[in-house]
Amino acid sequence: MTETTLFTIAFVLYILAAFFYLAVAFTKKESWAKPGLGLAFTGLVLHTAALLLRTFQSGHAPFTNMYESLSFLAWAVVLAYIIIDRKSRIPRIGSYVMLIVVGLVALASSPLMPKEATPLVPALQSYWLWLHVSVTLLGEAFFAVAFVTSFLYLRADTEEKKEKFDSVSYRCVAVGFPLFTLGGLIFGMVWAYKAWGTYWSWDPKEVWSLITWLVFALYLHTRIVMGWKGRRSAIIAIVGFLAALFTYFGVNYLLAGLHSYA
Amino acid sequence: MSSVWKFFSSVKLAIVLLILLAAASVVGTLIPQGLPPAAYAARYGQLAGLFSALQLTGVYHSGWYLALMFFFALNTVVCTITRLPAKWRRAFSPKVETEASGLQALKVRSRFGKNAPAAEVQARLEALLAARRYRVRSQAGEKRVSLLARKRKFGHFGSDTVHLGLLVIICGGIVSGLAGFRTELDLAEGQTAQVPRAPFSIRLDKFETEYYPQGMVKAWKSTVTVLEGGAGVLTRTVQVNKPLSYKGFNFYQTSYGSNWDNPKLEITVKKKSDAAFARTVQLSVGERAAVDDKDVTHISVKRFVPDFVIGEGNQIESRSEEPNNPAAQVEGWKGEEKVFSGWIFANYPDFEQMHSGKPTDLSFTLKSFHGSEFSVLEAAKDPGVGLIWIGCLLVTAGFFLAFYWTPREIKAVLEEGRERTEVTAGGLASKNREGFQAEFDDIMNSLRRSS
Repeated sequence: MTETTLFTIAFVLYILAAFFYLAVAFTKKESWAKPGLGLAFTGLVLHTAALLLRTFQSGHAPFTNMYESLSFLAWAVVLAYIIIDRKSRIPRIGSYVMLIVVGLVALASSPLMPKEATPLVPALQSYWLWLHVSVTLLGEAFFAVAFVTSFLYLRADTEEKKEKFDSVSYRCVAVGFPLFTLGGLIFGMVWAYKAWGTYWSWDPKEVWSLITWLVFALYLHTRIVMGWKGRRSAIIAIVGFLAALFTYFGVNYLLAGLHSYA
Repeated sequence: MSSVWKFFSSVKLAIVLLILLAAASVVGTLIPQGLPPAAYAARYGQLAGLFSALQLTGVYHSGWYLALMFFFALNTVVCTITRLPAKWRRAFSPKVETEASGLQALKVRSRFGKNAPAAEVQARLEALLAARRYRVRSQAGEKRVSLLARKRKFGHFGSDTVHLGLLVIICGGIVSGLAGFRTELDLAEGQTAQVPRAPFSIRLDKFETEYYPQGMVKAWKSTVTVLEGGAGVLTRTVQVNKPLSYKGFNFYQTSYGSNWDNPKLEITVKKKSDAAFARTVQLSVGERAAVDDKDVTHISVKRFVPDFVIGEGNQIESRSEEPNNPAAQVEGWKGEEKVFSGWIFANYPDFEQMHSGKPTDLSFTLKSFHGSEFSVLEAAKDPGVGLIWIGCLLVTAGFFLAFYWTPREIKAVLEEGRERTEVTAGGLASKNREGFQAEFDDIMNSLRRSS
């Protein structure tokens, strides 16, 4: 099977998973969640195979252009969700997360994104490409789940639900923030030092990573030291995710800088 | 003094500073940084003066941004120091003695009786706790024993370790800013450059560009030799992502360029009257090359510019050193008679025909042009970088401690009655309470069932 076939089947499975999860949200029948999770998981397995196949065929990490990077981000979001779901078991989270995943995969599949694997430009020929991008995107995937749970918190009607969404949000940030710091900032600095000769150059992508980092630092300090929970925490987590999204997307298309790869 | 200390020990200040730093950083990405003043005037008009007065054209190096950073660092230091003694006491000299009533106020708790002497119950409980890697301290009172079991106590210092790491990173940044320096070395093959502030020089032996079969650049490789006192001590190939380190200096492959002083050109001569006629000759500026035709015996090139532009006073000049609009001033000769003179453009092969001075049957095209390539290496010395990596390690370790090495504490009171020991236990963990509850229940159930 080719990479495209695997990727397409995974896409279809994600869409079906989203339908099952939405069915839970609308019919309130929790029993739809199980097949939803099963489909998402099967999609993840096929998606993993597609990414591996692409890696072997191109001979480099599968995140060197926007198509690859979106595909990997979608993969990471599904993975993050499955990890979080093992503990939280709230199907409503799944419905919105799967919508985000479907959106990312649809964007990756759109004709706007060139799909052919191109050889690596000299700047990207480094094993730090693996470490920097994969860990950062995994961290951002947890921010995406935190975004969903924070959004659900703001819309929840009972205290019990609110408390659950709040605690899942926190757990996502507790995983995502260290990953983002390590992958995005620390590995990024190490690689920048090796490739450009300076660990920090105030490039817009670097600055936006810093901004994202500051927002989540704010999240943790207001929460742990000042005891902010619930609504205000949720809003900060949403702002943090939007900053991460801008770091990932907006900087490439709106601001010029050194990070002109993907 | 105390009021200043109090001001800087406030978490509210930390929050204000985090917001201000984030906002200032956003501003610096919305306004392009470090452009020449004229560019701002063209882009923002009247606002340009205000921007430069507020240093918005160089936010990250401005006094006020650095001041924010400084206050942030100071705030971090003071906050961390203020909170440290209490944490220290809690981690290293805790109070062992406890009251059963206090434990029953905890969320994680258990109380049961055991038909065994207190000493025996204590031994069993201690064994169970030790099996789960708790360190147990005990204090015996009259007819009662207090137990304090703890593990992962370094988790108390997770946030402090992150803060320390950040401060070390900021210090590294200051050292880099004050003592670091970088400079670009343009080197043609065979050329040697003295590295500024270094006791050695560097020679470029070879510069080559490798291509993929598709035509994209695969690698720029500069083979360089480090020379000390004129003698070569080390030869290495420098590539992007593979810098050379020598005596505290690093050399990076950053760029390359072409020198257009003496390019090698290929020029094709055609005749409008004879479509089959085409001769290509190779020559440099100032050279004559034979064409061996009755209408044109040879051609010569008077001048070459990589980026043709007509400047002030109708002077022909090069706008840049990039081959954006390469042009050659060509002369065609028939014996000693000049039959053609004009500029030809690589990007606009038909241009000269329209602008040629006198009508001619000959047509010239600039087929190719090659300057001699030179490699641009960046020489950098950054004494702050060691601190940066230490800071990064501390931040990583601190995150691990703060999120995944949460301290757990189980306290117990054993009260000896007649033939029976009353066990009251309670536990505390700041994170992963479900996991802790399960562990606590496990220990207490094992103790209850043991005989």
